[in-house]
Amino acid sequence: MAIISRKNKRQDVALSTGALLRAYEKMFLIRVAEEKIAALYLKNKIMSFVHFYIGQEAVAVGVADSIGLKDKMLGNHRSHGHYLAKGGDLKRMVCELLGKEGGLAKGKGGSMHMVDRSVNFVGSTPILGSVVPLSCGVAFEQKYNKRKSVTVAFLGDGAFEEGVIYETINLAGLFKLPLLIVVENNLYSVNSPLKDRRAEGHNVAKIVRGFGAKYIKADGKNYRDVRVKAGKMVAYLRKGNGPGVLECFTHRHMAHSAPIFDESSRKEDVLEKRLQQDSIKRLRSELRRAGVSEKKLASIESEKIRYADESIAFAFAAPYPKPETLYTNVFAR
Amino acid sequence: MSERILKYTDAVREATDQLLEKDSSVFVVGLGVSYKDGAADGTTSGLAMKYPKRVLDVPVSENAFTGMAVGAAFSGLRPIVHHGRVEFSLLAMDPILTQAAKWNYMFGGGNPVPITLRIAVGRQWGNGPQHTQSLYGLFGGTPGLKVVIPSTPRMAKGLLISAVRDNNPVIILESRWLYKVKQDVPAEMWEEPLDKAKVLKKGADITVVAYGDGLVSALEAYDLVGKSAGIELIDVVSINPVDNETIAKSVAKTGRLLCVDTAPAAFSIGSEIIAAVAKVMPLKNKPVALCTPAVPCPTSTALTESYYPTKVDIANAVLRAMKKPDIKHVLTFEELHLAPSITLS
Ligand SMILES: Cc1ncc(C[n+]2csc(CCOP(=O)(O)OP(=O)(O)O)c2C)c(N)n1
Ligand SMILES: [Mg+2]
Repeated sequence: MAIISRKNKRQDVALSTGALLRAYEKMFLIRVAEEKIAALYLKNKIMSFVHFYIGQEAVAVGVADSIGLKDKMLGNHRSHGHYLAKGGDLKRMVCELLGKEGGLAKGKGGSMHMVDRSVNFVGSTPILGSVVPLSCGVAFEQKYNKRKSVTVAFLGDGAFEEGVIYETINLAGLFKLPLLIVVENNLYSVNSPLKDRRAEGHNVAKIVRGFGAKYIKADGKNYRDVRVKAGKMVAYLRKGNGPGVLECFTHRHMAHSAPIFDESSRKEDVLEKRLQQDSIKRLRSELRRAGVSEKKLASIESEKIRYADESIAFAFAAPYPKPETLYTNVFAR
Repeated sequence: MSERILKYTDAVREATDQLLEKDSSVFVVGLGVSYKDGAADGTTSGLAMKYPKRVLDVPVSENAFTGMAVGAAFSGLRPIVHHGRVEFSLLAMDPILTQAAKWNYMFGGGNPVPITLRIAVGRQWGNGPQHTQSLYGLFGGTPGLKVVIPSTPRMAKGLLISAVRDNNPVIILESRWLYKVKQDVPAEMWEEPLDKAKVLKKGADITVVAYGDGLVSALEAYDLVGKSAGIELIDVVSINPVDNETIAKSVAKTGRLLCVDTAPAAFSIGSEIIAAVAKVMPLKNKPVALCTPAVPCPTSTALTESYYPTKVDIANAVLRAMKKPDIKHVLTFEELHLAPSITLS
């Protein structure tokens, strides 16, 4: 059960039960949608490389709830959750996974390439780290055209080891760009734990602050914590102070890629602990404590399950792209 | 001797194991190379246990660890660097193309860089535009690099051994598509020449030149029409330099040339070979280059099913060059989209 610290309590004021309930709905939908996608994957129905977001939902939703529609978001190889949290369309997302014409990228991209300009989800790329300089460019345009909006880049702890990120934090700081880098630290890059990848004494907070950028650490398994800290960060960015890094510690429940539960490389984040700290479970208990009835929660859940089923059925019935579209879109018209 | 049927990845693993055992200056570096499953593709599995401190997992920092390996190589070590996809190696192009490839030359010799880079390229279902490029031309066109494409498990072993023993930067471009292909592979260590094409099938009427995944498709096409169509099948093996001599010798005999590319035609290996042959002799046919369309490889199977030249495309291109009727042969979904696990002779 989540223990709410005093300090957090003061910041909680803005988070009404209604707001928490809406967050729960979003997180629950991301979870069930991916669980159903995982089942399809295991039946060889999905011919697209999939990296599941299950376990990390509080990060995407906590950050997305701290920004508005006009703010922009970009992601990585594990971006189903980021996209849906930004207000994405599950039907079109599943179409993309199935390689259908009506998919987000008309079937050309697949799971690793979420994109939807209508909700300002600008794109996602599985080339690790690249999202950061690209997002810096998106933030550059926002400042250049004097917009009030900010840009959020999602990446993992592994990707955070690419050198270009440090160049970009400096660059974005120099230009005071509204760039929020969200590092989802799930402790692994594929199966490599942090200790195999980082020098003794490695300190992300000091590195980021050493560039003059803002650093905040959050519990990525706790919606409330992510929401409050992302909110702070976004307020800081909107004042034109320059970039920030929000590092959210979280767990992915499945293996790196494909819906496998491989526990062999896990040391501390064992299954039992992961399930116990699961953000959705914790938020649910919090809502119950706040007086939301079991019946109410169950009805929300069954509605989301129904919607996920409906979206998948929709995508299955949708047409494949016409063969000649292989040749379209290389260049813009 | 009894047959030792090994998977392509096991042949790579065995060569790596033997190289590590024989030469203490050899080490392996790359993402996940120390995993039990060996960099997720099996090519280094179990080696970290056997050679602790010499099979090294690294941070996700391609530019840094590739640069480190280049520096270690010109200091006398023999690194084997693994990049699981060519796109990841693109983050390390300065140490590869601009440093390793120039180092000995720009210092007037005496500064060898004995590094081997194993870089996986090409097709795999569900991987899409940013995970399936081949980019042969990038490496093939850079002086100072030796570049080979092992198309069979035997070549994968023999070429890796030569690469590591060579005193220069060698790029091994491995087609992921071939990782499950099997073949009889000798247990002992031997060296395959890094600069020689291989005539795999003798024939009198048409020279078919292929490499990597396309070579395996060409072998299958040979099974369909090869004998009757008089195919002489050549494995390119080296693309820096291309062994034009072996190819031209074959074309001088057959008079016809067909190249199979599994990348777009522009600046491709096939185009390079056709140009080189056309410079030295007339041809009976218009040289044919099968290739992928000049678009990125998409993800949807509805679009990838017509992306790569298949064994049927190759067979029919041969038949057309010979003015014979096409064969009709419908490929299954598995044949079109899943990596082959055939055993080669
Ligand atoms: C430049 C680059 N190098 C390597 C890879 C292979 N790769 C894909 S995901 C991954 C692990 C990434 O870990 P992290 O950034 O922490 O994200 P997570 O998968 O944990 O969400 C690796 C190494 C890649 N996609 N891009
Ligand atoms: Mg991670």
